[in-house]
Amino acid sequence: MLNQFAEALKKVGGQVTEVATAREAAVYIAGRINGTVLLPPQSSLERAGLAAALEAEGVTVIKDSWREHAPAAGAGVTGVNFALADTGTLVLDSTAESLRLTTTLPERHFALLDPCKILADSLDAVPYLRGFHERAPRNYLAYITGPSRTADIERVLTIGVHGPRELHVLLMPGLSADFYEL
Amino acid sequence: MSRERNRNYRQRVDEALATPRLQEALHTFGDAYVIARQNAFAGLDFEAMRTEIAEMKDHVREHRQDLVAEFTRNAEAAGAKVYLARTAEDANRYIAELAMQHGVKKVVKSKSMASEETHLNRALKAAGVEALETDLGEWIIQLAGQRPSHMVMPAIHMFRDEVAALFGKVTGQVESDDIPHLVQVAREQLRQGYFDADMGISGANMAIAETGGIALITNEGNARLATTLPKIHVALVGLEKLVPTLEDATKVMRVLPRNATGQLLTSYVTWIRGAVPCGDGDKELHIVLLDNGRSALAESPQCRDALRCIKCGACANVCPVYQTVGGHVFGHIYISAIGVILTAFYHGLENAADLVKACIGCRACVAVCPSAIDLEGIILHLREVLGDEEGIGTGKALVFKHIMRNRKLFHSMIRAASLLQKPVTRGERSIRHLPLFFSSLTEWRTLPAIAEKPLRDTWQAMPQRLDKPRYRVAFFAGCLNDFVYPEMGGDLVKVLNHLNVEVFFPKEQNCCGVPALYSGDRETAVALAEQNIEAMLADQPDFVVTTCPTCTMSLQRDFLELLQDNPVWAEKARQLADITIDVSRFIVDKLDGKAVFTDASGQEKVTYHDSCHLKRGAGVWEQPRQLLAGSGREVVEMAHSDRCCGFGGSYSFTSHPDIAKHILNDKVKDIEATGATCVAMDCPGCIMQIRGGLEKQEKSVRAKHTIELLAETLP
Repeated sequence: MLNQFAEALKKVGGQVTEVATAREAAVYIAGRINGTVLLPPQSSLERAGLAAALEAEGVTVIKDSWREHAPAAGAGVTGVNFALADTGTLVLDSTAESLRLTTTLPERHFALLDPCKILADSLDAVPYLRGFHERAPRNYLAYITGPSRTADIERVLTIGVHGPRELHVLLMPGLSADFYEL
Repeated sequence: MSRERNRNYRQRVDEALATPRLQEALHTFGDAYVIARQNAFAGLDFEAMRTEIAEMKDHVREHRQDLVAEFTRNAEAAGAKVYLARTAEDANRYIAELAMQHGVKKVVKSKSMASEETHLNRALKAAGVEALETDLGEWIIQLAGQRPSHMVMPAIHMFRDEVAALFGKVTGQVESDDIPHLVQVAREQLRQGYFDADMGISGANMAIAETGGIALITNEGNARLATTLPKIHVALVGLEKLVPTLEDATKVMRVLPRNATGQLLTSYVTWIRGAVPCGDGDKELHIVLLDNGRSALAESPQCRDALRCIKCGACANVCPVYQTVGGHVFGHIYISAIGVILTAFYHGLENAADLVKACIGCRACVAVCPSAIDLEGIILHLREVLGDEEGIGTGKALVFKHIMRNRKLFHSMIRAASLLQKPVTRGERSIRHLPLFFSSLTEWRTLPAIAEKPLRDTWQAMPQRLDKPRYRVAFFAGCLNDFVYPEMGGDLVKVLNHLNVEVFFPKEQNCCGVPALYSGDRETAVALAEQNIEAMLADQPDFVVTTCPTCTMSLQRDFLELLQDNPVWAEKARQLADITIDVSRFIVDKLDGKAVFTDASGQEKVTYHDSCHLKRGAGVWEQPRQLLAGSGREVVEMAHSDRCCGFGGSYSFTSHPDIAKHILNDKVKDIEATGATCVAMDCPGCIMQIRGGLEKQEKSVRAKHTIELLAETLP
């Protein structure tokens, strides 16, 4: 399942890497960004100490005033609720506005996924979708499959129109086994 | 009014035909699409998936009132406001008033065909509100002051240099026509818009009754920004987008990108339920459910399947007419086959009148429709409605009603024509030039002469001496076999006799009725169906064999439909349908004759053209290939073997010869590229078209019916 996920994601222009610790994740991210990083509150990333690890690598981490900072930020960092193997899709509960700004405005999106949270396909995801709806009265759930793309001019595939140009998935075992946790 | 309308339409056709790079672009796209789509469905059962969607959508149509109530209840419980707009004006008024009440000056829009349908931007402008399209394709056509020419790729008709010029006007400098650069320009120019706008307007691909949420299937990311940054979000959603559950929504989501662009999934699928957080407070979410003709469509038993449409645009991608003239000709707001139907209901029959006739009837769209809509069948029905309302033209009406229905008169007129044509045929079988105002008819293809003696007159002269025939079958010849290509009848007798089958020719048979039916004259089609059923069943044949797949579909399918409510004829129509079979399938499936015809004399290289009604109507394509290969010939596949040849009966004579000519040229190129010396097919109409094109272009490839090629192997 993990291989299928990684292959599908690579086919749509996503990048996949494996990291063992928050420090390794921070090193990977720090080497690929210009400017600041948006890091909205997410319990799995807090538990892993990602903010401190990024700061230790010299990265400026934005933790509030999202609307003010998001337009100029170089990257957004998030966890992943779970993923779908057949299409290489990340599922993110993006009800908090900070999550949406983090994954739409910057040119790069780094997503940390525990490889134990990969489902076969979108039909398997339906019970979890329903679960999100039962847990909260209002939701904004995002399926993200690769970077932003268009083929609107002469059907030539071009990456990065309005959303991120790069999507990096960092596979980090032990991050979170909870499908409802980011 | 209708004359003026038709003149404008003809002008658009001429303009499109004079734009070869548009055709080239649409052909290239069509080819790439077929491959991408095939890959995207690899390992999946498309037939099962579309059956599921069709059944689900039919359920939605039947229970739409309950589902609208359920959706509204759930959406409002989550803090949304739901407004049911009866008409386009109603929807526009609601949105414009909302904008004015909140002092909205600027709106950002993500792609919404429903807003194109209602001309929302125009209404907003009238209310002093500026609407900025943020989907790249939509922005391009907004800058150009045009309308979409494709549902999924609205600017597919435009080229990079045109886009660069448009963008240059916005930025005030010369922009390079490098596509990544142009995409970057759009990103930069549109970004601030999301922050400046007080309202974001989107469409929706699904509205889920179970949750009261909507889902958006997109690639660029602009819909995510437009539904996040502005304080107010308005979703304009056609009522047909309702689905009962999250499972149903997921099933649509699995099929839509695969069938639209050959993607397994788009970059983004966004599920929004209720008034989610926005800045320091909550979003104001309005969902406008749009009727605008959808309820009327649901009430039309002949057309209502069109409500199953999930707006993937595939019917355009595979359409030879669309590929030839583009969506600005073959479309109003909604384009291509589904567009013809939706236009009739959402924008009025008047706006659909020319489009209804522009369909060549090849059923390529039906084969790829993800909701299993019989698009061609519905378009034919609309042609009938239009025939009733506007008339089918006095010339056609005279021929159909007063001549064709009277078989003896009809046939004696064809015989007379056979004599009258002598000055132009000079006794030859092909007409290469016609004089005066008929000359355009033979400009791009030769036409066959009417035979000196029709098949019906020579039938008795063909002795059939079979002691104990395996079957006695009746031959339904159709007009072309009878009066234009009688020699094929002789070949049929020769081939079937060789398989110990006796063939007889019921003389009372008449035209199958398709020309009348396809022109919108249902009454004549019914009269001819009754005549033919009577004639063909009279001598109790084991089978009724055909050599023309259009006739096959008529006998197998149309007669049943035409007479289903007639207690006297319905059962007889069923009887005839059950025993009707095209000759290639008859030989392979019923007579096991695959290996009977072997030709030691040569190894001719043959390519096979799949006739539309044979492959997508009768479901026959393997059998003729098996017969040709079995006869010792080398069968080579041409590209687009099942793409229409452009014949379409009266389509290539009177209604759209200019488009038919282009489609034929595509076919001739594909045939030539195989290096075959013979192109085989199982349809006399296709033979008329393809042979005509090959002869006119002086190609040394012969066009033959499979039955003729089998007969060649016999002494």
